[in-house]
Amino acid sequence: MTRLAVWIAAVLFAATPAVAQDLGVDLHGFAEFATGARVRDDPLQEDDILLNEARFRLELEHFTDRAEFAFKSDFTADGLTEEVDVDVRQAVIVVRASDWLDVRAGRQVLTWGTGDLLFLNDLFPKDFVSFFIGREDEYLKAPANALRLTFYSSLVNLDLVATPVFEPDRSITGERLSFFDPGTGTLESATSSGGELTASRPARELGNGELAARLFRRVGGYELALYGYVGFTKQPSAFDPIADMPTHSPLNAYGASIRGAVAGGIAHVETALYDGDDDGGDDPNVANSQFRGLIGYERELAPDLTGGVQYYVERVLDHDQLLAASPNPLFEPSETRHLITTRVTYRLLQQTLTASLFAFASPNDEDMYLRPSLSYAWSDALTVAGGANVMMGGDATFFGQLERGSNVYLRARYSF
Amino acid sequence: MRQTIARISLLLLLGLGVTVGHAAAQDLTDVAEIVRRANNASYYAGGDGRAQVRMTITDASDRSRVRQFTALRRNISEGGDQDYAVLFSRPADLRNTVFLVNKHVDGDDDRWLYLPSLDLVRRVAAGDKRTSFVGSHFLYEDVSGRRIADDRHELVETTDTHYVVKNTPFDPDGQEFESWTVWIEKATFLPTLMEYVDDAGEVYRRIEALEVQEIDGIPTVTRLRASDLRSGGNTLSEFTDIEYGLGIPADVFTERTLRSPPRRWFSSR
Repeated sequence: MTRLAVWIAAVLFAATPAVAQDLGVDLHGFAEFATGARVRDDPLQEDDILLNEARFRLELEHFTDRAEFAFKSDFTADGLTEEVDVDVRQAVIVVRASDWLDVRAGRQVLTWGTGDLLFLNDLFPKDFVSFFIGREDEYLKAPANALRLTFYSSLVNLDLVATPVFEPDRSITGERLSFFDPGTGTLESATSSGGELTASRPARELGNGELAARLFRRVGGYELALYGYVGFTKQPSAFDPIADMPTHSPLNAYGASIRGAVAGGIAHVETALYDGDDDGGDDPNVANSQFRGLIGYERELAPDLTGGVQYYVERVLDHDQLLAASPNPLFEPSETRHLITTRVTYRLLQQTLTASLFAFASPNDEDMYLRPSLSYAWSDALTVAGGANVMMGGDATFFGQLERGSNVYLRARYSF
Repeated sequence: MRQTIARISLLLLLGLGVTVGHAAAQDLTDVAEIVRRANNASYYAGGDGRAQVRMTITDASDRSRVRQFTALRRNISEGGDQDYAVLFSRPADLRNTVFLVNKHVDGDDDRWLYLPSLDLVRRVAAGDKRTSFVGSHFLYEDVSGRRIADDRHELVETTDTHYVVKNTPFDPDGQEFESWTVWIEKATFLPTLMEYVDDAGEVYRRIEALEVQEIDGIPTVTRLRASDLRSGGNTLSEFTDIEYGLGIPADVFTERTLRSPPRRWFSSR
């Protein structure tokens, strides 16, 4: 696999500029080196280095009046796994099929919803490992093989996204970052538990895919949306006792959001109901249904200084039944998780230097996560970025379990 | 008395600024009339338009960066609301980013930014008017327009070629300047020079039209420079492939364009 990937990369690299030009294809990309290390000792992990990779990105685009082809792939030499990974982030055909229909077919990154680094109705795949170890923000979103149809009308617009084969989050598996296992009540890592955490996926059959829908329109300056999702929990939050491994249980979700200008800033409100596969809430192997709510506000405080604040709540339904049925009630999530986030972004030196601090804190679960970062555009081509991911809290808390994965990182990117 | 004045706006900045130069036989003395004409000329001629824009940002130590984009503009009504759509092609980290503005004469503008790498539609607050536009020496307010009613206007001089109008903000806390003065060319009603004065009475910022060309019979600024006289940095905007009266449909300025910009309208013929 490794050798093949290198060959593919080499051939593409060597051949594409000439071919691209002949075909009228735009060629872009970047080369990036990233390194990062944990700042606390994790006895469960062998390596203090969390990030050590050279990444080459190739982007090809071709446009016609009605259609567009876009290809985007990363080739990453990972010093930790000593492998070369090929991650195709986009291979999509976009067709403006008619006045009222856009079609986007293929591998693509998808996002909707109003939250800032909080996702309620956005049940498209995410990569939490990348997010916590200091890769660029874009890697929080993972690609999926999907068909997106967008219907436009004067009354309302409709987005339909079909993902025929379920695409889960790229979640924490114990490699690089240790995690809390409520089954044992301890922190676990790939080293401590003899391998990465693997989860079973729904069988690859029709009917085991995902369908997401968004109905949206603007009313004056306000954007209104209704959302629906039929699929599976994106995290392996259920346990399959027969296979003796975590799994993804069926999930339906419904929600709504509104976003608009308020007092010189932008306010957003979003709610979602996660209707899980545990109707009475008494199946200890399946996560209970949840209500999620979010309210946020962002505005410019001074030129080039932006501040934002969000309040987010996650309420577990049938919590009493959950506790009653749980073998480890102590490690079950609290009935209501309150979370406050703040963002401060300051751009200096004619916006070539960006300083940012994003903070998550839960007053009732007593865990928090700080994301300071500094990014400097040396030129249009060369950008240098550094920052930290600092997680704190008890072992059984959402961010606290990652405390020993707290890290600092540095990246340099040359774009072309 | 409420007076109005032409302002350098997105139109002008994007090279879509327009005036039909009725060579005035007699000088105007009513500043409101000067302003009305210049405003209509700068903002609303042509009905709609397109330009390729290249901004070269040079800092005091002569390092330069480039922002390149296609801009579309459409009037909803003469002297009223307008729509703008901007599609970036350079630099790499802005490529395919779309900036969409629904400009409202009464009330805050609605503004969106589409970040393709995250497939993210971001809403941009209307508050940041005096913030740099994509790192250039032009501000969002230069781009999306300063509200006419924000300033008191005064015709300070009429030269052989220009009307000189001084503008003083009603709310001195809302911006970093004490006043700004604009030189409006009589023949075309195009603002050709603007100077911003700070509390100490010093000119610290200047916007100059370096070149005007006639396009489809419409005098149009094709080179415009904004200079920060304190830091020594400046941004040169160059406008090419300017076209007017294209008949761009209204739905080009909606969320659809953020995710899939219609190349038909964004590419020059």
